[in-house]
Amino acid sequence: MDGRNKESKITIFNLVQAEHSRREFLKKTAIGSTAIILGSIFAKRVFAQRAERPTYSMILVDYNKCTGCRTCETVCSAFNNKVKIGEEELPGLGNPYYSNIRVYSFNPDVDIPVTCLMCGDNPCIEACPVEPDPKTGRKALYRDEKTLSIKNDLERCIGCGSCAEACRTKRIGVIIPNPQTGKPERMCTLCDGDPQCVKYCPYGALTHVTGRLDGKHYGFSIEEIANKLTKLWYYNEKNK
Amino acid sequence: MAEKLFGYNGVILEINLTSGKVEKKPLSPDDARKFVGGRGLGMKILWDKLRKPGVNPLSPENPLIFMPGPFSGFPIPSSSRTCVITKSPHTSPLKSKYPYASTISYSNMGGFIGPEIRFAGYDGIVITGKANSPVYIVIDNDKVEIRDAKKFWGMGTDEFDRKFIEELKDRRFRTCYIGPAGENLVEYACIINTAARAAGRGGTGCVMGSKNLKAIAVRGTKIPPVADHKRFLQLLEEARNGFKGTPYTENWRRYGTASAIISSSDAGSQAVKNYREGTFLDADKIGGISAEQKIWIRDFACYCCPLACKKSGVVRTGPYAGLVHDGPEYETGTMMGANLLVSDLEGLMKEIYDVDDMGLDQISTGNVIGFLMEAYEKGYIDSNFLDGIDLKWGDVPAILKMVRKIAMREGIGDLASKGVKRLSERIGRDSSKFAIHVKGHELAAWNVHVSLTQGVCYATANRGACHLNGHNPRSQNLNAMNDSLGLCRFAQGGFRQGLIRELLSAITGLDWTEEEYLKAGERIFNLEKAFNYREGFRREDDTIPDRFFEEPLTVGSRKGAILNRDEFKKAMDNYYKERGWDLITTKPSSEKLKSLELEFVIKELK
Repeated sequence: MDGRNKESKITIFNLVQAEHSRREFLKKTAIGSTAIILGSIFAKRVFAQRAERPTYSMILVDYNKCTGCRTCETVCSAFNNKVKIGEEELPGLGNPYYSNIRVYSFNPDVDIPVTCLMCGDNPCIEACPVEPDPKTGRKALYRDEKTLSIKNDLERCIGCGSCAEACRTKRIGVIIPNPQTGKPERMCTLCDGDPQCVKYCPYGALTHVTGRLDGKHYGFSIEEIANKLTKLWYYNEKNK
Repeated sequence: MAEKLFGYNGVILEINLTSGKVEKKPLSPDDARKFVGGRGLGMKILWDKLRKPGVNPLSPENPLIFMPGPFSGFPIPSSSRTCVITKSPHTSPLKSKYPYASTISYSNMGGFIGPEIRFAGYDGIVITGKANSPVYIVIDNDKVEIRDAKKFWGMGTDEFDRKFIEELKDRRFRTCYIGPAGENLVEYACIINTAARAAGRGGTGCVMGSKNLKAIAVRGTKIPPVADHKRFLQLLEEARNGFKGTPYTENWRRYGTASAIISSSDAGSQAVKNYREGTFLDADKIGGISAEQKIWIRDFACYCCPLACKKSGVVRTGPYAGLVHDGPEYETGTMMGANLLVSDLEGLMKEIYDVDDMGLDQISTGNVIGFLMEAYEKGYIDSNFLDGIDLKWGDVPAILKMVRKIAMREGIGDLASKGVKRLSERIGRDSSKFAIHVKGHELAAWNVHVSLTQGVCYATANRGACHLNGHNPRSQNLNAMNDSLGLCRFAQGGFRQGLIRELLSAITGLDWTEEEYLKAGERIFNLEKAFNYREGFRREDDTIPDRFFEEPLTVGSRKGAILNRDEFKKAMDNYYKERGWDLITTKPSSEKLKSLELEFVIKELK
């Protein structure tokens, strides 16, 4: 699998397979390439088979296609922070600081767009200490039934930061507490069903996938993903 | 100052490293209109700061100016550039009454730091003075801190890039920095960001080093206002669509500038063997197709750029196996490759890595080493002169030794750190014929034998030899504007005719007609020229090396190509006439300056 071969997807779901197949690749090229393709098919099948009962809707990043341009950050920021111009509400100008999807850069060159993984087992919601509302059953942090995204009830949130801590230690660290209020931010909104990052990524690195996925993610941190990609792309034995 | 300024933060950040004083100065709306941003506004600030000619470029007085433009920070495709403006530490006139006479210098870099400067609430950063000991600057919105950088002094740019971001504890800081070459005041040291992107030319890193400034880090949460929000969004949509799925985009993505390594060689326009030839017979060994097969792993893009011309790769075989870096691009591959007859792609990658790591300008470094190779081959110098280095064409280990010596200014490296003009003055004989510079600034990777207008481009560039200057006044004025917006040159071709002006109008609320746009470019170019004229640069400085008039190409499709002196003189006459400059002195006429609203310049040009 050549790094510039954009045909093979490398995502949070097949990162381990990709790593594994790279080792296989060293032994037998044919088997190696098959494994990587299987890896991505595997991820697709998991979604496809269970699509009849969608409980899951997320932005899937193909690390192989991302160039780190941050167009996703600006369009996310612009859409989710609208401004009032006269009578109209329009997208903002898009300072990437306010984006829910965030691209982290490493040297050697690896860029990792990070966005809410919509984890099936909700460690962030689990960590929320606010008593569930008797009527809705919702804690302050909850999964919205309509959009399937994670939302926060600003009225009931106490700004304790437990959700962010859970996301950071158990998952990828998407949730960042607001510096003033401590209340969680940066959960993906899926932009009312039309994710702007997917629409505007010039490289086709982002897709909106729906389906049902049981179990949990690998729980890699950003640094771990960076390490894996660095090894996979630059420091694998084939390059020596 | 009640006037609301659209498209700008309205604030220039000034940091004096001698006193530690930090000031936020208002940006004059008149300057913003007349000089736009980037290269233009930086030039105006330089003019205002240096009120007399002959200031030593390495003195605390010389400002180092980081200027994004009015496009910076907005998600307009490829609007990632920051221009660094200062008085050049590397150029010199043939004669002048001022011992430190030099041209202006501007050099721009991509990446992410230009937009971030605007996010932090500024339209530019002006650094003056000199710190007592090595420091770095952290700009976090309104908060500006000058911190101790002693532990980083001497560190190569690759390691520093990693260590610095760890020290800052937030990967969202955007940084730029110098390497050992800048610290050691090599005249053609550069400023680097993301370990590979550089404000390469004109010695910006040397001036930064002279201020004891290792690095700058910026982070911000703001964005300037635009005048017509709705219109801006419409034009933005159009600009983005213009890049979608076009052959233009696809070509840039696949090869970046490296495609030109072969095409330029085929056209006889490449710098080969210290510009003796225009065609490199081994071009295919170091060109984009080879690099794609053997080196490149990933494509990377600057801020909001759909082209991703940055190719990072890894060396897989030979003594440098495991080395990870960018390249080759056209300039790096030609100057450190073809110009030195290096056909070993893996060795070339190591050269490019070392030059970046040391923080040297790839172009001047390749040019200087090419000159030394030729002088050595011709017997003008021996290996004693070169501290025992057997500096033969194509010899990668010898080149690597020279690179290190230059960066450390050790032995021959001290003289070589001053460029080919100084080297040829020392070596003497007729070595000036093959010292390939204009005004002391080395030529870039485009050869001149095959193109008279390429000669005019180099001869008339305000920073000394510059391949990005433009071949005639109109293109030079347009390019000056492009460099003032914060937009990348490589993206120009992706915009519909007029779209750039319309975007600028929507952002600033001013009506940027084509006439006004070209006039602003002309104004910027003339202010730069006036600065140089005041320093003592005259027509005799606007020339190109003898080689291009005396030694025709001997290989390739353009074998026999050579320039004619009379034709060159005629082309230059026409150039000055079109510019409205004096044919003998090149002084811009008072009428011209008046028509460009540059009245304040007239009394300075006696």
